[in-house]
Amino acid sequence: MGDSEPKVVAFCCTYCAYAAADLAGAMRLQYSPNVRIIKLLCTGKVEPLYLLKAFEAGADAVMVVG
Amino acid sequence: MIVAERKPFEEIKAMIESCKKVLIVGCGECVSVCMAGGEKEVQILASQLRLAFEEEGKKLEAGETTLERQCDKEYLEEIKDKVNDYDAVISMACGAGVQFLAEMYDSKLVYPALNTQFIGVAEREGEWSERCRACGDCVLADTGGICPVAICPKGLLNGPCGGTNDGKCELSKEKDCAWTLIYNRLDKLGKLDNIRKIFPAKKYSVQTTPGRRIHEAFKEKE
Amino acid sequence: MEGECHFLEGNKRAKMWVDYTKGLLEESGIAPDRLKMFNLSSSMAPRFKEVVEEMTEVAKKLGPTKIEKKAA
Repeated sequence: MGDSEPKVVAFCCTYCAYAAADLAGAMRLQYSPNVRIIKLLCTGKVEPLYLLKAFEAGADAVMVVG
Repeated sequence: MIVAERKPFEEIKAMIESCKKVLIVGCGECVSVCMAGGEKEVQILASQLRLAFEEEGKKLEAGETTLERQCDKEYLEEIKDKVNDYDAVISMACGAGVQFLAEMYDSKLVYPALNTQFIGVAEREGEWSERCRACGDCVLADTGGICPVAICPKGLLNGPCGGTNDGKCELSKEKDCAWTLIYNRLDKLGKLDNIRKIFPAKKYSVQTTPGRRIHEAFKEKE
Repeated sequence: MEGECHFLEGNKRAKMWVDYTKGLLEESGIAPDRLKMFNLSSSMAPRFKEVVEEMTEVAKKLGPTKIEKKAA
């Protein structure tokens, strides 16, 4: 992927969003390859630093899904 | 604990605008507990500053460290070897910590990242309230354990004043009337007689500025 | 979904910190729109696709941040 492609980080809850992403795969739904999924046992563990660090690493957009 | 809050980001950023390397020093005591200047807050501030600098096309190296506390020399000495590598130090301690750090490293620019607010307690997660003014002459024995100096905005020792209104203060509906609280508490304790007691003029002379205390055992003998 | 969380209110806490972090990002000069919270359930695969596309669009519309891309 070239540098022009945006980087998106998705923090996903194991029990819902990650399962939904898994299901999307099983259903052969094509979604943007720009997204990097980070699985969390609970999105309740999301804290400001996680999100800031994603931006520091170069993310152009960050989503929390759960 | 001592309760503080972080200064506005813009203010902190402006202090170190011309720096290339700053060391952000947190404090592991009160300000950690009140979520203002502990390890997490150090990391967040460092991250925010790096992002802000980089967004403006500049580079900032932000060192992160958190000491057990900043009001003891032993702990401040831990950063002795690090400090010289940095252009400036940002202390995330209360005002006392910032000054002690600045005193020990007096050839280094030391900036405060917090505004120190009061001595208080944790009401619930994320909320604190003031309980003590450090007046040096505690009256809690007579007031049912509720401090009129800290909680009454007028600091009245012989309250309530005429502004008490359904248990609230005339200054703000948000504020409890300290003397209503005291009356109710004394009633509960069966000590309502206390309310008739007249407090003499308060000994403000014991509230020395600057305060200093030497433990009896450590006083120099004649 | 909010209120139907596996850990009862894990996603409410997440929302709380996401909202707070939006403020931190704004202070650092990064558009708060770059961060967003979504609620969905385990069966909502098409919705997952949608939200991913939505955030990719946001990233494309706002353009890249000036932060060096440090990871793959």
